[in-house]
Amino acid sequence: MSTANLLDIKALHVRMGEQSILNGLSLHVPTGGIVTVLGSNGVGKTTLMRAISGVYHSTSGSIEFDGTDITNWPSHRIVAAGLAQAPEGRQIFSSMTIAENLRIGGVGLSPQALAEEEEKQLQRFAILRSRYRQKAGTLSGGEQQMLCIARALMCRPKLLLMDEPSLGLAPKVVRQIFDLITQIREEGHSVLLVEQNARAALRVADYAYVMDGGRIVIEGSSTELSDDARVRAAYLGGHTG
Amino acid sequence: MFDIFFVQQLVNGLSIGLIYALVAIGFTLIFGVLNVVNFAHGEIYMIGSFAGLMAITTFAPPLFVVILIALAAGALAGFGLERLAFRPFRRFRDEASLKSKAIREATLLSSLAVSIIVREIAEKIFGSNMQSIPQDYLLLKPIQIGSLSFADGQFLIFGLSIVMLGGLQWLLKRTRIGLSIRAVANNPMGAAYVGINTERTIIATFVIGSTLGAIAGLIVGLYQGAIFPAMGFVPGVKAFVAMVMGGLSSIGGAVVCALILGMAEAITTSFFAQGWGDLVAYLFLVITLIFFPTGLFGGGRERV
Repeated sequence: MSTANLLDIKALHVRMGEQSILNGLSLHVPTGGIVTVLGSNGVGKTTLMRAISGVYHSTSGSIEFDGTDITNWPSHRIVAAGLAQAPEGRQIFSSMTIAENLRIGGVGLSPQALAEEEEKQLQRFAILRSRYRQKAGTLSGGEQQMLCIARALMCRPKLLLMDEPSLGLAPKVVRQIFDLITQIREEGHSVLLVEQNARAALRVADYAYVMDGGRIVIEGSSTELSDDARVRAAYLGGHTG
Repeated sequence: MFDIFFVQQLVNGLSIGLIYALVAIGFTLIFGVLNVVNFAHGEIYMIGSFAGLMAITTFAPPLFVVILIALAAGALAGFGLERLAFRPFRRFRDEASLKSKAIREATLLSSLAVSIIVREIAEKIFGSNMQSIPQDYLLLKPIQIGSLSFADGQFLIFGLSIVMLGGLQWLLKRTRIGLSIRAVANNPMGAAYVGINTERTIIATFVIGSTLGAIAGLIVGLYQGAIFPAMGFVPGVKAFVAMVMGGLSSIGGAVVCALILGMAEAITTSFFAQGWGDLVAYLFLVITLIFFPTGLFGGGRERV
């Protein structure tokens, strides 16, 4: 219940038709922290991310962001409140140019702030500047992921949600993405990261949750979890005992 | 065969094609954003015409005021149509419903229902016959250029269409709402994540598309001297054909195909009897569906 938390999720339930996907999940992201959620495929990680961003509705429980209850708000109000997401599958606007993708990311900013923020992202991702007038669909997977992150950062979010940013990318690009996460935190954004690549995620995060069957089953600091026998066995490919 | 009469027919075809293009854009915009055909679009065209005519008969304002009134009526009708026939089916926000064919087809029928109701109400009030239009407002004053003669309505059609097509391009490329419309059309899920207000964007799409349709209806009504409750049906079909030929969600494709359609009709009627013109549209539709199932310009799926 500490007020230092930027995001407070309490006993969240989400149903999809007959199926219950999230079963009373609770999770916290402190201001300035990097928190990761681990878990195998199909345990509800993406559903959690979509529920936080207002793409899915919850049936009960609460989501509090920056001291405000944002449970079941429409997604555009959640983004305006300072909570952006680089979603699973990137969801970029493939038939629009890089420039337009970035501009849409900062759709709520004043023209001047938009130009400033765009310059900042183009400085960070040189590749986007060199492809500025090209259709986003022509970018490679790694470049699309960078565009997706840049687009999410355009609205100057307090909290950035990242859903599987390393999925399907070459190892070199994966390293870049994880370096980027640390850099984003240093710029004052908090990060909630969902990852399959548990080893890399635990390296950048301060705190970690393990999800199974729509709720949290293990939680602790990243160092604690890296040493946890169950986590090692299930997610880090290590040996138990 | 390339005599002066033929050139004249081509110009006629071009002006009709531009009108089809304005109507087709409304279809295409809405299809792009919602992935559904709006069957009431022809009635918006009719409403634009009647709103203008009512303004003319009650207080006889200058023509540009009549156009503004049709524009306002179109915007209002588009807003009401979305509210009545489309919004009720968007209550379900989960992925399954968003992708559901049943919900999409439901709006197909609800828009058809609204279209029939609106047309019937108009017939109840005005009767199904052609309305009489005050002579001063008919856009049929002849203008002679060399040995060719045009009607002033044709120049108005050219001018207004080019202004509106240009304005639409500017709107879609440069403004916030235009970018939002294209983003929702390209990737509705992505649009939600970046904080676009999807509901507002959908309403804006209906308002913009309907404005174009209503103005097209007014000008054609005054140019052809034919304003009647069922007037939206034929141009609606033609615009639908242009949209399908253009690849369903490509505005550029729809405009080009609408022009081709208008010219082909004009050429046909210069060789055959008047009635054969309409056949061309259906012929094009059948040929497109058989040989180019994704449309002539639909290969790349460039949307809106």
